[in-house]
Amino acid sequence: MALSLRESLHLVCDPGNLDAAVEEVFQLMVGVRCLRHAGPPESEAEPESVTAMVGFAGLLSGACVFKSGRAAALQIAARLTGMEFDAIDDTVKDALGEICNMLAGTWKGSIPDLAAHCGLSIPAVVTGRDYHLRVLASEFKLHHCYRFEDARFAVIILCDGLK
Amino acid sequence: MGEAREPMHREVGESGMKEARVLIVDDSAVMRKIVERALRQAGLDPLLVHEAGSGTEGLEVLGTCVVDLILSDINMPSMDGLEFVRRIRAQKLACGVPVVMITTESSEEHVKQAIEAGARGYIRKPFTPEQVKERVLPLLGLL
Repeated sequence: MALSLRESLHLVCDPGNLDAAVEEVFQLMVGVRCLRHAGPPESEAEPESVTAMVGFAGLLSGACVFKSGRAAALQIAARLTGMEFDAIDDTVKDALGEICNMLAGTWKGSIPDLAAHCGLSIPAVVTGRDYHLRVLASEFKLHHCYRFEDARFAVIILCDGLK
Repeated sequence: MGEAREPMHREVGESGMKEARVLIVDDSAVMRKIVERALRQAGLDPLLVHEAGSGTEGLEVLGTCVVDLILSDINMPSMDGLEFVRRIRAQKLACGVPVVMITTESSEEHVKQAIEAGARGYIRKPFTPEQVKERVLPLLGLL
């Protein structure tokens, strides 16, 4: 019988798995405890933002997206690397790409069928102002905002195909 | 190719331990630095690190440098970590040097593929320095 993820849909859509992935990655690699945040992911006064994406392919097709404003991006990169940054340079982008990579892998690994039957792409990072992400024909979307200290960010799991 | 080439001099640390020579292969420069930091926090001192941003670069480094340990990511462009390990073994590079995969891929199937390719250990990202110590030091005969 062919493997289907639809029988594990409740696990795939469980927001607790995403919360747990964020907690693990940020606790172990950034050294901070993140809490869910009810407000928008980045300050209204911060037009520049960073978006990192890792694709999923296999039983689930879609992407894991990490998005934050400039200030949060610099804080996260600084804590991850032990360096200081005053601009979103290639090292900051690399750092956030790796954060997104680990979030995607940890979330995927929490769902048994997905762990073995869904691959990850290499991270892509986009920086800029006033851009929006639009996903067509979405099967489901998990979109949570988190914060630690005064830094806020969003993590989104997008699924446009489920076998 | 594949012959051991001992350097003229290896540093000795305060503990009397010879320098550990490690190759870290990951397409992320940030992750290579994080892995190096974790190795130092795990107690590898003195430590000489060679870096490679891809499997292809890693093979080039192994063609000219002697190492005691190889740590490699799996998901990398052009040549993934599993192919990198297979080629190390096929080309008889770094004979007897343990390879540990450090990767976000955590399924039993991925671990099995890594071991079959020739890896001796597996560390899942995200990781702690303690986890690195537990997986790496025994392979170097240090724990």
